[in-house]
Amino acid sequence: MANQPHIIKHEDLKFQVIGQGHYLVDVDSTAPADALIIEANDEDYARLLVRKIRGHFNPDIYLKPVFLWRASAGTDVLLEHNHDGSISALDQIAQLAEVVKRITLRVSHLDQQAVPSYEGQIVKKVLNYLYTRENRALQPYLDTRSAIGYTFPEMSVNFSEKEEGQLLEILEWAEREGLIWPDFLEKVYQCNSCGSGHLHYREVCPHCDSSNSKSEDLVHHFPCAYLGPISDFKNTIDSTLTCPKCSKSLRHIGIDYDKPSVIHHCNNCDQNFQDANIKSKCLSCQNDVDVKFLVPRHINIYKLTRKGRSAATSGLFASSEAIDDVFGTVNMPTFRIIAHYEVERIKDKAELNASLAMVFVDGVLELYNRLGKKAERKLVEELVNMIRDNIRPMDIIAFETSSTFFVLLPGMDAKAAEEVMNRLATQVTEVLKRNLNEGKLKVTPRVRQLDGLSNAEAQINELSKEFSR
Amino acid sequence: MMGYFEEFFNYLASLTIDQFIRIFWFFLVFELVRFFLLDLGVLIIWKLQHVTRKKRYLLARKMLWAERPLVSIVVPGRNEGEHIFKLANSLKEQTYTNYEFIVVDDGSNDQTRVICNNLKKNGLITLFISNDVRGGKASAANLGLRYSKGKFIIHIDADCSYDRDAVENIIVPFYLDDKLGAVGGDVQVRNYDESLCTTLQAIEYIDTISIGRISQSQLGIYRIISGAFGAFRKEALDRVGGWDIGPGLDGDITVKIRKLGYNIHFEPTAVCQTNVPTTFKALTKQRLRWDKSVVRFRLRKHNDVFFPDKSFRWLNFISFIENITYNIVLNFKWYFYLIDIVWHFASRVLFILPVNYVLYTFYNFFKFVVFSIFRERKSVRDEYFLPFMPLMALYYGYYLRLVRTYAYLQEIFLKRSYEDDWNPAKTSVYAKHMKL
Repeated sequence: MANQPHIIKHEDLKFQVIGQGHYLVDVDSTAPADALIIEANDEDYARLLVRKIRGHFNPDIYLKPVFLWRASAGTDVLLEHNHDGSISALDQIAQLAEVVKRITLRVSHLDQQAVPSYEGQIVKKVLNYLYTRENRALQPYLDTRSAIGYTFPEMSVNFSEKEEGQLLEILEWAEREGLIWPDFLEKVYQCNSCGSGHLHYREVCPHCDSSNSKSEDLVHHFPCAYLGPISDFKNTIDSTLTCPKCSKSLRHIGIDYDKPSVIHHCNNCDQNFQDANIKSKCLSCQNDVDVKFLVPRHINIYKLTRKGRSAATSGLFASSEAIDDVFGTVNMPTFRIIAHYEVERIKDKAELNASLAMVFVDGVLELYNRLGKKAERKLVEELVNMIRDNIRPMDIIAFETSSTFFVLLPGMDAKAAEEVMNRLATQVTEVLKRNLNEGKLKVTPRVRQLDGLSNAEAQINELSKEFSR
Repeated sequence: MMGYFEEFFNYLASLTIDQFIRIFWFFLVFELVRFFLLDLGVLIIWKLQHVTRKKRYLLARKMLWAERPLVSIVVPGRNEGEHIFKLANSLKEQTYTNYEFIVVDDGSNDQTRVICNNLKKNGLITLFISNDVRGGKASAANLGLRYSKGKFIIHIDADCSYDRDAVENIIVPFYLDDKLGAVGGDVQVRNYDESLCTTLQAIEYIDTISIGRISQSQLGIYRIISGAFGAFRKEALDRVGGWDIGPGLDGDITVKIRKLGYNIHFEPTAVCQTNVPTTFKALTKQRLRWDKSVVRFRLRKHNDVFFPDKSFRWLNFISFIENITYNIVLNFKWYFYLIDIVWHFASRVLFILPVNYVLYTFYNFFKFVVFSIFRERKSVRDEYFLPFMPLMALYYGYYLRLVRTYAYLQEIFLKRSYEDDWNPAKTSVYAKHMKL
């Protein structure tokens, strides 16, 4: 019974209460509720659950109002910025109704058009969340649990703590797209292997990389010109410093002696050196590198631009810019031009036909999220190859994002094109399932026969909208 | 004019041998005897020993290669970054490779630190130590010595370059003589053709170093291991506590080692090339510094070599007497010679001085040609220098003598060496106070 949803109705709103015993609650099942109330006396539990909710890719879930039921205010940054209020007892639910209505109203403003690119999808989620919470900035906070040392609470929920390095790349992408603008806060260094900011810095011997060294002042005794490490001047009896060359006691720094420098002695390899190497060991992946190889990153407070505020409601997310060109494809502007000529040809001769197909690989964005961006390009190339194997050499392929592909099939009617695409979809789904063990990935094709009634641009957009619906 | 020359030659022809000796006694007694006849005799003996010496060297070289000891090459310097790269490359070419190259930066305020760190990263420098504060050349050399691990220490200057076998050749003599404490290398002038000033110095270096030190070494009175290229037994350097405050620290340390009973050797086959001052102004400054140190170290700091005590050695005594006589005493005596001539031969001064000049010119020319037979390693053809020989009497007899006189007077009466900015004032004040 502990796993049964506990629903409290207030006015026409349904509040689902999730107690601490519901650790393994299936957040997908919470979609029907208007709001969630999480028992949050155990902050770690609440944090986990809030991450699952806000990190979900379904807007019905990640935008849902979430309230905490707890006795006292919490300290977890991520938790505190991802809930919409708290109550100390369930009989205070009435206080939450207004908040739920306000958020629900703002959610209804959103255009929930599918965003194919990975970066776009993450940014869209964040912008939507900020809009619905009437917030206009992404503020970073120091957080030891974050791999980069800083957490952007509203955004970090989309990444596991180890993968937060990707977050900065996406923010930089959004900055380049003009959706947000940065206000410098701090500069941090990330591991060049895994992106973690949890680094252990050490001064190491330049000869053997050992950190087992001791440093000593060099002492120059003016009268006799002896210059050596301070240990040469020390004795085991008292604290006086005596020159090993002339046996005089050192009296007054700056008058009869000075310390012109420092020297290190490596206890491991017995070498002397002055400039120790600074190395950084990543606490996440054990990568041990010279600090010059670390990746410098700016931690900024990001504020929404006018374009960003507009994009939060209307939806505007460009292509996956990391992948510019893949062999066997044309870019989208070229594809549109070719489609335009095809439409013009059909306008001229009604007996000609051509089809436009769109292939969307559903769920692949989460896969990219998990595997990282390096895998993205590889997978796109594989998908293009598979599409190419199923179509004729004359057919044109373009991809708008790493999960959305367009195919122009000149001289082929919609029925034949549909057959080709369905065959392709089945094949690709199977290959992905077999090779990547990804049963959740689903390849969905849509086909439309080009006509001469509207221009090519409009027909491509119409096909895209079909997916959104 | 023709009348003058006629009178001049008539005067010369009228001189009897006795008169000639009376008038040109300074040249005949001091210059000719000491710097030509004595040196020539020594050089002839040295040349005659060539075959036996060659065998001994062959054996010593075998011993060196059998042991292959680590040699520490120490370069103290300030703002020498631009020279260090060339120097490191010159060392990379050495036939003897078991060496560590230690560079000590004495508070440079240029790019030396960056350059040397880069060279170290690329494996051209073994140890680079940089001091933020200038302490003087002696302290920098001592720091290099402190961290050196070699059995032999070679002290070199950053602006020098070395023959491929220079390091090997300067170490070989240590295997000839167990009591050998230090070996000096031959220092030749690299920029001999840069100006008249450098050409004259090149001739001087050939005379006083390349040839003069063979003679001194053979006589056992060799007393300055040049800072530009000198090798030391580490044990000897440790016993004397390394270098003391300069200027003139190279001569000073040689004397300190001699006083401990070690022998000192000049090795003409170990050749280094250096750049000398290109203007007479810079040369004057350098020589004032060098000449002051003769007074400071010979007459003051190490005057104990004249007194019989447990460390007394006749060779040290003779070396000092020779040095003081020929550098300091005769320098002043030359002025007495001038007075003598003016006083006793006032009407003939206009003939005597030109004759003196001609005598010295022929002497310099003849000596250069004769001694060139004994020079084995020539980086420049002798013919290059011959046109400049008439100027050498002016250079040696007047220019250097005047500079020397000025330096001696400054040092004897004012102790100006302690005010030389070659050393930081914080150390010079102690050197003066402690009579170092």
